[in-house]
Amino acid sequence: MRRALLTAVGAFLLAVWTVPVLLAVLTSLKDEKEVLAFPPTVVFEPTLKNFAAVLFGPTNIVPNLASSIVIALATTALTIVIAVPAAYAFARLKLRGKTQLGFYVLATQFVPPIGLIIPYFLILNRIGWMDSYRGLVLIYLTFSLPFAIWLLVSYFEDIPREMEEAALLDRANRWQALWHVVLPQARGAIAVTVVFVFLNAWNEFLFAVVLGGATVKPVTVSMYNYINTEQTQWAQLAAAALVAMLPVIVLGITAQKHIVAGLSAGAVKGVSRR
Amino acid sequence: MLVAPGVLVLLASTTFPLAYLLWQSLQNINLGMPGMDRFVGAENYVRMWHDARFWGALGFTFVYAGVTVALQLVLGLGMALLILQIPRAQWAFRVAAILPIVLAPVVAGLFWRTLMLTPDFGIVDFAVRALGFPSQNWLGDPALARVSVIVIHTWQWTPFVFLYMLAALAALPADLHEAARIDRAGAWQRFVHVTLPLLRPAIVIVVILRTTVALSAFAAIYAATGGGPGTATEIVNLYAYRVAFAELSLGYGAAAAVVLLALTLAVSVILFRVRRAS
Repeated sequence: MRRALLTAVGAFLLAVWTVPVLLAVLTSLKDEKEVLAFPPTVVFEPTLKNFAAVLFGPTNIVPNLASSIVIALATTALTIVIAVPAAYAFARLKLRGKTQLGFYVLATQFVPPIGLIIPYFLILNRIGWMDSYRGLVLIYLTFSLPFAIWLLVSYFEDIPREMEEAALLDRANRWQALWHVVLPQARGAIAVTVVFVFLNAWNEFLFAVVLGGATVKPVTVSMYNYINTEQTQWAQLAAAALVAMLPVIVLGITAQKHIVAGLSAGAVKGVSRR
Repeated sequence: MLVAPGVLVLLASTTFPLAYLLWQSLQNINLGMPGMDRFVGAENYVRMWHDARFWGALGFTFVYAGVTVALQLVLGLGMALLILQIPRAQWAFRVAAILPIVLAPVVAGLFWRTLMLTPDFGIVDFAVRALGFPSQNWLGDPALARVSVIVIHTWQWTPFVFLYMLAALAALPADLHEAARIDRAGAWQRFVHVTLPLLRPAIVIVVILRTTVALSAFAAIYAATGGGPGTATEIVNLYAYRVAFAELSLGYGAAAAVVLLALTLAVSVILFRVRRAS
């Protein structure tokens, strides 16, 4: 009895979490007319023409996918290059003002995006970086850097110091120790950080919609191709959303075990060590 | 040497723009009339003080953050306790919980607006009618629209709290529970007197995380209602956005953003104090 109840409640929860996405899958396989049928049809002739339309049609999202890939990859690469040495220093070096500096990095994570978007709008306008990759990548660093630094610090602190100290005794400098000793051990940590930074950059919307435009229009913004016109193209919207979400869903399920630790890294790990 | 690049980038990309934001909030900047910017001092703030729409947005921000965080906490913890009872099915829940979390909020908002809540064929409306209730204008009626955006946020982020609590519960020492069981404490008593106090640090952290995120929510509400109908679902974030970019009053929008910034900082500091005290 108790077991049956548990199973029923569990099944309901699973349904609640997955229904919007499952509905999107169903809708994306329907003919545009069939989408509006009432009651909703469950048995129907599936068609792939919506996917064909969003990939090859006149309003296809391929350029947007390309934009998103460029932005997410560039953001990720820059973030890693800047965050790894910074995190290493926070984890290992005795610096003056380290606590204050660490708190500063952490605090930047709590800045509401709207507080940045308004000044950036005028700044990028003035320097001619609106609707450009460098403009968007620069602003994406504002949220990816503090996040990546804190995530990496928490991982670096768990790496044993012995090998590194041996290297330092052999007169390696800090850069060499980082490159030859720490990085090989931190591969997993860096992989997780890459996943998160990529995921956040890929999903970002507010900065993209205000600071992007015709040339640089990430895929999250391109969803509006299908609803801002006279009528909503339901089936194509669903297909486009699914195509756009495929990379993050794959990444998310791959990194499933690390997701929560990653998403809470900044505030939790960071402050708890201070 | 190692930290410098990171800190310099953050100074240039965060601190400088925020200083600029403060400066903007003291000016009259209208995007419709370029070149007519002028310094007005505290005028934007005075205007906001007398703006009923701003107070409405501020009120809804508190309701939105408070209700969504409370719901996420209660539901997420409840689910984690429940799923712990069915160990063999746990992997399914872990994977399913990832879906909402990795979905872009704008897409989550769009899915709910179109597939779930559209009056004519959305699945929620269909279910409501199948149960014999009349069809509802889920996003067009002010009160219902507020409930809807709260439901969407809760739907998207409860799985995060669920996964977090699952991990926190797994890390609890098992022997305490055994001791309580031997003392014949009931399930509810064990939960209140043993589990809950041990979970307290994890709960405080989740509340900090989820509150700061809820205060900055944007894309899902933007996609679902655009802040409407009228101004019903405007949180301060959306209010600042609409004032700055739809109504082109950038300086006034900047002042609203400053208020949100101060609010977020204040809430974070209070919550961190609570954390340190506990």
